Parts: sequence; structure tokens; C-alpha cells
Amino acid sequence: MSTLTPEKPGVWSAVKELPGNVWSSIFRNPLPSTDLERSSTSFTNFFLHLHPVKVHKNTLRPIYTLGLGLMALFLFLILVVTGVLLMFYYVPSTTQAYDRMLDLRGTVAFGIFLRNMHRWSAHGMVAIVFLHMCRVFFTGAYKRPREFNWVIGVLLLLVTLFLSFTGYLLPWDQLAFWAITVGTSIAGYAPLVGQQMKFLLLGDTTVGQEALLRFYVLHVAVLPGVLVLLVAIHFWRIRKDGGLSRPEKAAKPPAQATYKARVYGLQGFVRGPFTKIGNVGDDSVYSWPNLLLAELFVFVLTVSAILVVSLLFNAPLEQPVNVMHPPNPAKAPWYFLGLQEMVSYSAFWGGIGIPGLMAALLLLVPYIDRGTKGVGLWFSRERLLANTIFLTLVILNVIFIVIGTFFRGPNWTFVSPF
Amino acid sequence: MNPANNDAQPVPRRRLLAWLSSVGLFGSAVLAAVSDLVFFKPRVTYSPSARFSIGKPDDFPPGTRVARDVERVCVVREGNRLAAISTTCTHLGCIVSISDTGFACPCHGSRYDQDGTVTGGPAPKPLPWFKVSLAPNGEIEIDKNSQVQPGNYFNL
Repeated sequence: MSTLTPEKPGVWSAVKELPGNVWSSIFRNPLPSTDLERSSTSFTNFFLHLHPVKVHKNTLRPIYTLGLGLMALFLFLILVVTGVLLMFYYVPSTTQAYDRMLDLRGTVAFGIFLRNMHRWSAHGMVAIVFLHMCRVFFTGAYKRPREFNWVIGVLLLLVTLFLSFTGYLLPWDQLAFWAITVGTSIAGYAPLVGQQMKFLLLGDTTVGQEALLRFYVLHVAVLPGVLVLLVAIHFWRIRKDGGLSRPEKAAKPPAQATYKARVYGLQGFVRGPFTKIGNVGDDSVYSWPNLLLAELFVFVLTVSAILVVSLLFNAPLEQPVNVMHPPNPAKAPWYFLGLQEMVSYSAFWGGIGIPGLMAALLLLVPYIDRGTKGVGLWFSRERLLANTIFLTLVILNVIFIVIGTFFRGPNWTFVSPF
Repeated sequence: MNPANNDAQPVPRRRLLAWLSSVGLFGSAVLAAVSDLVFFKPRVTYSPSARFSIGKPDDFPPGTRVARDVERVCVVREGNRLAAISTTCTHLGCIVSISDTGFACPCHGSRYDQDGTVTGGPAPKPLPWFKVSLAPNGEIEIDKNSQVQPGNYFNL
């Protein structure tokens, strides 16, 4: 203690100021009321410093992003929370897994509700991640300098699908067992390494205890870890690539308002949108509260939707596994039914050839399409060809999924659902 | 370090060392990745043995055609000839059932004739035939690890 302090603060005053002192030691600012405090709030808070201090107005247009990326993130958060809770009651054993599903339904408090939330969020995440990809494509948002973030995004889609697929086996009911039997057999068609890959994945020649354990570990530890890492890179790159894409004319402030200057600060390392000194007029607004309110809105929307769906619909649970009686027809998860439909024509082309080609094409999209026009606009004229090709493939995929889901009956014969 | 030595030959030596250590590190990484694969490939599996006996030949009188769902084989006896045909669909691994014309798969509609030859549907290959033998104790033994040419019956 310094003896130079003119007045020694008394213990009583320390107690009186305790709440305020604790608060201000955690949050460096009061609730912001000035622009400086708004900047500082975003900058000094661990969770908020993911955000830029200011965002472009275009970023906040709901009609531009549709909030799909955020929805995917929030669905993932719901999945982590509900998934960890389910882990407290689940045992990855062929003799116990199904009973635990029944326990969730019968004895565990909120068990059925948690399982519903987990199942519907998982389906939702697959759908939303796919739609997010469509949004990014149709707005040309993958173009320079955001090429690599598109690649990360495609990897995120693949990891999401694999996460959902590994989770599918865990209830150990007929649906799970046969969907995974069919799904892993598709992997077995890959040239050269197919059978090896299948054996590594299943830990055995058929789906059994080893497969259940492997899928469990992949589902609760390995893949979520990979996903978190990729999401972190995805978000980091949004910042480093200059924020979300936007129309070219909106990308820069009026010319007379900028001037070159040396800036010694963190912002100097961040590419775009521009370096700004003083109070120059531009099209950006402070992240606090604008961006945060938008995020909160999407969060509430996502959670409410999942809560409502989970209250209304129960996650399916079929009969326990009977390895001798495949259900007829045996169907993969819905997002793989397009694959399964193609597989019913040719196992190699439907299961490996075409999907592999599609994945490779998706990864290469930003390196094939090098045009710089039409960024930041939905269905821009300049991107008519690219958008048409992509839309055609999306529609084809949806058609195959619809056929596989609704128009295929016993022995995979064509049936009418009407 | 003596600055005078820097003029002699320090750069090639440093570059060589850097190169060698890069190779070493990269090599270790590759080795680690390969060992992972070795680790993940089980040396033993816990599933039932691929070689098993199914009983005496008398249990299967001539004309028998019976599917054993647990072992996933169909035992066929014609006269004094025995065969074991796989009932795992070659398309995507579902279990085929015995039909009037041979075998039919419930999953994607593949159809096979009596010998397991594909007659319809997406199956890419015929149903494999497994090696049948007579064990010393007189029981029929089937080895799912070794296949024989379709039509290659075992003579009792």
C-alpha cells in the first residue's frame, strides 16, 4: 500500500463501492451513451470483440443476409447445450442405447423435450446451412477477397452433414440402423479406399457395437471440435476480409471524405472497408447496439422456432434394432434421400461419383468464377449464368430428395403419396 | 557469434539445417498420421466369427433352400451338392429374402436369380458364394472370408 495516498480509503467505503467496483472491473465502460463508449464497449468485451466497432448498413439489411449464418450458429449452440445434457443420460451400447431413448421419453425430466430440440435443431441446421450457402452464392458474396471463406463454408456444410449422420445412429432403432447400413455401404463404393474407409468407420464389417461407439465419439467430441475450429476461422475471416459483402458502390465512402494517412492501430491491419479518421460521413453504424440487437432478434427467433416445433412434434423413435429385418423401404436421413434416389440407379455414380464431383465443384466455385461483377446483390444480371447453373443444381437436388422422401415405397418402387 | 564467421559459409549450413529439420518435422507428422490409421483399424473385431459350422449334412436334405438370417447366408442343397450363397445385397448391404425367382432386396429393389446372378435393380454384382467344407467332426463349415466361383458346388 502506498503511503503517499492522501486519504486511505476506509473499509466501509470499499464495501459500499463493491458492486460498482466489481462491475467496472469486468466491464470497462458504463452502458454506452457516447460514440467513444460504444466503440470501447465492442472493443473491450471478450464476447463483443468478435464484432467490428462499426458495421456497414448493408450488413444489417435483413433482406440481404436473411440472418441465415446467425441462425446456423444459434442452432449449433442449441445443439451443443441439448447434446451435452443428453450425454448425461445416454450410453453408447447396443444393449442400452435404445432403453435410454425410452427412459428419455418416460422418466427423465424434460427428456423427450430435450431430444426433440436436439433432433429438430439438427435437421434445421442442415437446412439452414444449405440455405446460407445458397444466399452467399446468389449474392456473389464468395468473390475476391472472400474466396477462402467460401471454401471454409463448404467444409462446414460437409462437417454438418457428417455430424448429423453420426448422430442418426445413436438411438439404435430400426431407422438408425438401416439408414447407417445403407449410408456406410455408399461410402464403400469409393474406388480403391472405399471398403477400407467403411471398415475404419464401422470398426467392423457390419454395423454393430464398434460402429455405435465410433459414431458416438465422432459425434460428441471429434466433429464438434472440428466444427468449432472451422466456425472460428469462418468468423475471423469475415472481419479480415472486410466485413460482409455489399454492393460495390456502397463499399467506399464518398471520395472527398477519405484521405490517406498513416494509422498506428489495430484497424490498420484489417483489410477494408476503409481507414477513417475523424468524423467522416459514411454508411456504417455502431455495432452497439445496432448489430447486437439484430443478433438478439435472430437468436430469439431461432430459439422460439425450435421450442415451438419441439412442443408440437416428437422426434421419431422406431422399433429397436432387428438386424435380420430391414424395414421396407429402408431410407437414409432426408438430406441423403437425394443421394439414395440416385444410388438406386447406380451405386457408384449416385453415391460417390456425382456427390464427389459436386463437392469438388463447390470447393472450386470461387476459383472458377473469377468475375468481379454483381457482388452484394441478389440475382444480379451480371451473374445470370452462374446463378442459373447453381439454381438448376439446387432444384435438381430438391427434386431428388422429394422423390426419395415421398414417392418411394416398398422395394423402392414408385408410389404416389396422394 | 563472431560476425566474421558469417561471411564464410553460414547461410548454406543454416539452410541445410532448416531444410533437414523441416523434412524431419514433416516426416514425423506423416508418420503420426499413418499411425493414426493403424490405430483406428481394429486388429480384432467383436462380431461373430466369419467361419462357422451349420450342422450335419443330414439336416439339409436334397432340395433344401434355406436362408439363415443371423449368418446372412442361404444354404442350398441339390442332390449331393452344397452351396452357401450370401444374402447380403451387393448394392447397399440390406438382407435379401428368398423369392419365387431367387432373391429380392427390400431396400432398393434389386433382384437375383436362384444362383445369385443379378436380374434387375441397382445391384452391381452377383451375390457371392462362400467356401463350404466338411469339418472333421462331420459338420458343414462355411467360411465367409473366402469366396468361390458361383456355380462351384461342394460335393458331399
